[in-house]
Amino acid sequence: MSVNAWIIVGDQPTVGNLVTVARSLGGTVGAVVAGPRSVAEIVASSGVDKVVWCNAPDDVPAEANATALADAVAADPPRVVLAGRNPGERVLLGAAAARLKAAVLTGARSVAVEGDGVVVVNAVFGDIADETVAVSGPVALLLDGGSAPSGDGASVPIEEVSAPPLGVRVVETRTHGFDQVDLNAAHRVIGVGRGLKSKEDLALIEALAVAVGAEIACTRPVAEGLNWMGKDRYIGSSGARIAPQLYLAIGVSGQLQHMVGVTGAETIVAINSDPNAAVFKETDHGLVGDLYQLVPAITAALK
Amino acid sequence: MKIVVAYKWTRDPEEASARPDGTVDWSRAKPGLSTYDPVAIEVARQLAAETGAELIGVTVGDKGVGTPLACKAALGRGLDRVVTVEDGSLADAGRSELAAVLAEVIKHIGDVDLVVTGDSSMDVAAKMVPTVLAGELGWPAVAEVTSVTGKAGELRVGREIPGGAQVLEISGPAVLATSADAAAPRVPGMKDLLAAGKKPVEHLDLAALKVSPQNAVMTVTGRSLPERKVRKGQLIDTADPAQAADELLTALRQAGAL
Repeated sequence: MSVNAWIIVGDQPTVGNLVTVARSLGGTVGAVVAGPRSVAEIVASSGVDKVVWCNAPDDVPAEANATALADAVAADPPRVVLAGRNPGERVLLGAAAARLKAAVLTGARSVAVEGDGVVVVNAVFGDIADETVAVSGPVALLLDGGSAPSGDGASVPIEEVSAPPLGVRVVETRTHGFDQVDLNAAHRVIGVGRGLKSKEDLALIEALAVAVGAEIACTRPVAEGLNWMGKDRYIGSSGARIAPQLYLAIGVSGQLQHMVGVTGAETIVAINSDPNAAVFKETDHGLVGDLYQLVPAITAALK
Repeated sequence: MKIVVAYKWTRDPEEASARPDGTVDWSRAKPGLSTYDPVAIEVARQLAAETGAELIGVTVGDKGVGTPLACKAALGRGLDRVVTVEDGSLADAGRSELAAVLAEVIKHIGDVDLVVTGDSSMDVAAKMVPTVLAGELGWPAVAEVTSVTGKAGELRVGREIPGGAQVLEISGPAVLATSADAAAPRVPGMKDLLAAGKKPVEHLDLAALKVSPQNAVMTVTGRSLPERKVRKGQLIDTADPAQAADELLTALRQAGAL
């Protein structure tokens, strides 16, 4: 048996993984784009069968086209709706799920068609357990979007629907000044936790990152409470989930909600002054000691 | 103006553990107000203070969410009143079902201008209930909201986007999911908690809300523990940092990590 799928897209054409999952279900794959026309054009070359674009004024954010997007999805109701883990896509997926009265799952490790149903292995409660869920009826899945298509594939035509916007207008946009990063593309990642005493001390970490060839990431409080880095750099159940060759946890206590983001790492190293830190339960190589001595020593040894 | 804060009374998975058969043992986890909900209440409370709006807490869920303890924990943070739907059948409810119940409660309250929620629930952390709720109501939803000013019909909403921030103007009712650090929640004092005990609490009957059924049925057919890599758990002596560094690099080269 095969089932049809809709992929939901907002402002970013990062749909590679969504197309792969949708294609594996064996039916037709459509994409509906609530963001700019330029995004719809890229998605049209991603390997989908059709693209619907919600045409709205430029100052309307993608989320404000949620009703038009839900209408487009409901006009050709699928068994599976997929979206990537961005705030805008979450809103659009919610609108589609409400319209379809669909089940919503956000921790899918695998999706398969079995008999009349869709079977999802779904991680629950901070990934401490997996549930195999058989869904009869429509299901909306929030997944890692994956990368954007290269754009050199054959394009399908773009169908246009007019979107009566929901009374939301963008009046100001500014960048936060942090460099954006794709942690999933990095082979080595250094994660910084609250064990680092000040933002200036990030220089130590940056020197190590250069020496080891790593991207810098962090725990949630470092990005959110301390605001030392952009939020796209925090790792954990509600942040990035990565599977690099090497993860170096520096001054990271090792809370569950952080560590589930690195379970896929090939090798994990931890540096922490507290020998009882939870992080040492999930490391390959642990160094109990002062990061202010150990980090420069490792940087020096790499040179 | 009426502002609703949709909050959750639940348990923290940091205090739970998974058994070998994949079931979850919650026996050591104490129920409480979900981690980020005090942030939502604080954002909404500040807007209510500026606009003179009524601030109404809403929660729906399993047995326990409507107890005096749970209601006081929410009311003590500055809500004017709470409305609850407490029903054992909601224990295993999915995101869509909870959102559909919340939508009916909001319609029951009537003339609601704004719904504010936390960033994510501490147990499920799907970040989807606010967005499905907005879909049910036919309202726009905005996530990662950092500030809300203005008044009903003329809201100015600050929100984070990947790589930056935006200011939005919203002319109608909306659902706003706050970012985890949108406001510093107040810690309720004894006076707040005493006052909370006197504030109105309304318990609604789930059956009376006539929530329209879902088109999907979810059946859990299996439970298991996630596959985890076995970690080596080797400790490197750090008495001499330079020697420790050398030892680490040797190990990493052997593992092919460098």
